[in-house]
Amino acid sequence: MSTKTVEFSLSGSREMGPDGIARSPLAPFDIPEPKIDTERMLINIGPQHPATHGVLRLVCELDGETIVKVVPHIGYLHSSFEKLGEYRTWNQIVTLTDRMDYLAPLIYNCAYVMSVEKLMGIEVTERCKVVRVILMELDRIFGHLLWLGTTAIDVGAFTPFLYSFQEREKIYQLHEALTGARITTSATRVGGMMADLPTGWLDGLLDFLDGFPKTLDEVDRLLTGNQIHIGRTQGVGAISGEEAINCGLTGPNLRASGVPYDVRKDRPYYDYETYDFTVPIGEHGDCYDRYLCRMQEMRESVGILHQAMARLPDGPINVADPKISLPSKTDAMSDMESMIHHFKLITHGIPAPEGDCYYAVEGSKGELGMYVVAEEGDAKPVRWRIRPPSFVNLSTIARLAEGHMVSDLIMINASLDIVLGEIDR
Amino acid sequence: MAEHDESGLEAVEQGPLTADAREPRNVASTGDPSDHPSVAALLDRFGDAVLRHRVNAGDQWVVWIDPSRSREILGWLKDDSEHVYDMMSDVTGVDYGRGRPVEVVYQMFSTRHKRALRIRCPLPLDALEIDTICDLWQSANWLEREVFDLFGVTFRGHPDHRRILMPDDYAEGHPLRKDFPLRGRLSRAEQTRRALAQEVERYYLADDLGHGVPQEVQAKLASQARPDARPDEGGT
Amino acid sequence: MGLGDKLPGGGSSKTTGGMFGAGSPTFLTSRVDALINWGRLNSLWPMPFGTACCAIEMMASAASNYDIARFGMERMSFSPRQADVLICAGRVPYKLAPVLRRIWDQMPQPKWSISMGACASSGGVFDVYSMVQGIDTIIPVDVYIPGCPPRPEGLIYGLMMVQEKIRQESLSKHFEHRAEDPARVARPNAGDEQVVGLTGPFGNSTRQEKLSTGEIPRPESDEAAETIVS
Repeated sequence: MSTKTVEFSLSGSREMGPDGIARSPLAPFDIPEPKIDTERMLINIGPQHPATHGVLRLVCELDGETIVKVVPHIGYLHSSFEKLGEYRTWNQIVTLTDRMDYLAPLIYNCAYVMSVEKLMGIEVTERCKVVRVILMELDRIFGHLLWLGTTAIDVGAFTPFLYSFQEREKIYQLHEALTGARITTSATRVGGMMADLPTGWLDGLLDFLDGFPKTLDEVDRLLTGNQIHIGRTQGVGAISGEEAINCGLTGPNLRASGVPYDVRKDRPYYDYETYDFTVPIGEHGDCYDRYLCRMQEMRESVGILHQAMARLPDGPINVADPKISLPSKTDAMSDMESMIHHFKLITHGIPAPEGDCYYAVEGSKGELGMYVVAEEGDAKPVRWRIRPPSFVNLSTIARLAEGHMVSDLIMINASLDIVLGEIDR
Repeated sequence: MAEHDESGLEAVEQGPLTADAREPRNVASTGDPSDHPSVAALLDRFGDAVLRHRVNAGDQWVVWIDPSRSREILGWLKDDSEHVYDMMSDVTGVDYGRGRPVEVVYQMFSTRHKRALRIRCPLPLDALEIDTICDLWQSANWLEREVFDLFGVTFRGHPDHRRILMPDDYAEGHPLRKDFPLRGRLSRAEQTRRALAQEVERYYLADDLGHGVPQEVQAKLASQARPDARPDEGGT
Repeated sequence: MGLGDKLPGGGSSKTTGGMFGAGSPTFLTSRVDALINWGRLNSLWPMPFGTACCAIEMMASAASNYDIARFGMERMSFSPRQADVLICAGRVPYKLAPVLRRIWDQMPQPKWSISMGACASSGGVFDVYSMVQGIDTIIPVDVYIPGCPPRPEGLIYGLMMVQEKIRQESLSKHFEHRAEDPARVARPNAGDEQVVGLTGPFGNSTRQEKLSTGEIPRPESDEAAETIVS
């Protein structure tokens, strides 16, 4: 089965169809052809492309530089996480969650176990809640930093990329100090965390938070008032609030259009209603507003982090239920009961009640939903569904980009802040 | 529940323990509908189409409805001023396996009333069809394509009824069904050969390149007579 | 392999005989080799075929902290026509496989390839229906970098191994190193038995032949094993 080679010759390949439009002999006549004048051009962007932020194929029909039609094609990173999840126990799935949104892995780790805990009716400890808030806000900054760096590169500014990666290095080190891995953290477990914060970790976080706003100010100075950046982002890719809700946009994309929907405020979890922070709301819904929303969100996250660190209580990090949390190694080695609990937890897993649970958190890209379905006593999910914010955000790209120019398409794609790992799952 | 091996190690590597019965274990409705205004209103107005309701995971309301009236009910939930479920967060499918109906699950949220609701439509395996809602909520466009791709559920009236994650001509079936093996139905050698036999330009619009719309997509579009359908409409 | 017959000069160094040796390095060729290889390995232009998490670590190695510019590789060439080394960073599903093969075919010789990460090397955690179980079934690979994801230091070590490989090349073995068979364009790199051997399930994966319901699909005959079970 070889690759089919199509003989393409300029002179011989055109035939006149019944309606007088020249079309190629392989095109079907009964399916309406797009009305393509001879001036229009077909451009294929991707799947291997520096500016698509992943393996995404954008097929554009251009009239000169103006996009008449753009059709995104995804699936080039489909790793069937959801199917794989049906073969893994609840805790084994945590390692899969980092690999979807690899730009903000801790948010995925937390969202997944939060969903499972809700399904099982497990209430985690106070310390665990605050630690998870810290980790989620830290990874919000982490994800936004990468967005900042890559978007700046798409505009043509290389410096913010280096600055943002330098800041990300500090967060990588924090990840590594906590979990041993830079990106694929797998920090959470059902009922708690893999490990408590090591000594000195909070000092490291404070150091990062001291230096971070200054870097953010520098990048602000470079980009926010920059006429080139403004020219490329203002008025580009605008969408109204109502349309944005109907299209399923969430996160900074939605808020830039003036809709004040933030899962932390509207469906709060982990005492977010007690933290003092504002959610930046935009006005025009264009790329510039999305940029401003994210920049401000990073600053707000810094504030939340300070508050969370201040209120971090002492105490156990894991739920004290031996049927959920692993016993300590010392106990497991010396006490018979603990050994049996350890054995059952590792070999079988945690039995779930019958039912399903859809848990939404505010991920860095938008509303991240984790939907788990289980039958009575299941140690593995019947169905694990991730509602990826980028999947729905990307589906709006045709609406946003048609009528703009090709370079605007790149800018719009960057401003949507997509990550193909979670789109294709 | 399936029997466990004495060693206990088998349990880790088994597939999930799914129900042996064809029907779900707990079919009784739970929860007091007056706790959730939309559930009460649904029972009031569409009583016959509501199969049952439950409260799962503590406080999440789930309503099972008759799939033949899904469009009517979901449309009403969206438009009625008391409910205004303007955001369709997610559309997905659940396959329990062993002959049980495949359920299409709608996660809805009202930004005005800050209320969430889950609607589930059970579809028998020999009639995996349901009306599309992507003209009511644009977010459902790609979400329904994904349910089609991974479960094989046909959405009547969908303007762009193609696979989205798998290649257009994927011949092994619908991956997330329970009777689909994890490693696929073909051998790895066959999968590799088929992968490399794909035409890299196959996704272009039917145009100068002379490749045309892929045969598989043509056949499917021809069999679903939709006069206003355009084969390359997507993403809107 | 028969390839030599199709190439000019019969595939040996007949055209570079005499001072330049007939198939074995001489003083002159080893000096020229050293110079050419030095030039090549210090100015490799990577073709970043980044797909997933490993791509982020690749970006981190290009950033200031790990800085592959010290190796002359800061100019990431996104056009395969101008690239030397293809770094496949991340998992490659079957849908992306022809794209990868085409990019590889479009790269002109001399070219090398690096399989970065567990997913590119062997499929990684993803022993599933959609994932290529190692890109060496698609393209020839020179260096494999294990890790999930490998640290930037790991990527740099892999790049240095490619440099070492280049250092050992020789002009007199030009045709062995650089020969490319046009008939192999867009074809898998590994034959059928090789693919099955390389990608067979092992460890925990052996249990994953089952369906999600716990049953094991049993084909009625050997033939049926290769065809679709409906």
